[in-house]
Amino acid sequence: MARLLMFHGKECPHCKKMMPVVEKLEQETGVHFEKHEVWHDEKNADLMRSYKPVITPRCGGQLRVPTFLNAETNDVICGEVEYDKLKAWAEKK
Amino acid sequence: MKKRYWRCFVCNDIHYGVAPPELCPTCKVLNAYVEITAEEARKILGGGPDTAFAPVDFRQAIERFAAGNEFMLNPDRDKVETLLRGIFENEKNHGFKYCPCRLRTKDWNEDLKLVCPCNFTIHETYRGVKEGECWCGLFVRRK
Repeated sequence: MARLLMFHGKECPHCKKMMPVVEKLEQETGVHFEKHEVWHDEKNADLMRSYKPVITPRCGGQLRVPTFLNAETNDVICGEVEYDKLKAWAEKK
Repeated sequence: MKKRYWRCFVCNDIHYGVAPPELCPTCKVLNAYVEITAEEARKILGGGPDTAFAPVDFRQAIERFAAGNEFMLNPDRDKVETLLRGIFENEKNHGFKYCPCRLRTKDWNEDLKLVCPCNFTIHETYRGVKEGECWCGLFVRRK
């Protein structure tokens, strides 16, 4: 199973909105997201920064949250996304 | 272009930019600015009054800022409260009122672009978008 990462911020409303969507996806499909809060945890922030060359071209040139990253394929999706879109992305080989 | 520091020789207003203002916005004197060092600018600003903002003051400041523009504060109060909490957490933990919906890169100049309010009018979430908003949703296009 692919290693999926979700970078989020504690006080980011988009992340707050996406959290139940991600949890529903995990429950219904069995996929798992490693969740990394980046504004209050510098280790997580550094992890996100280490993926800067992969993330920024897909996210308006910035390290935005929420960002979803497939650590094996380097496929990235960021911002608020519909359940079906996230599901298709997460299940993509 | 390199920004430098300028001081009004009449009222000691400080300006940071590539060129000084022609007219001092405080004392209205023409051609009043002289270039000074960063050290002098810091000393003058450091001796100024403490203008620390509580979230309510910052909220009023950005409301006044938006009043003269084509955007306004998001009418969703909960969202605004969450964002203001994040902005102030970031100031406490990282030194500036950084956007809670983007991560600082640790590059000084790049990260200044994340200080709220940022120049979101050039972002794809706002520019040319009918119901545009800044990335975090604090500001939305006025209807």
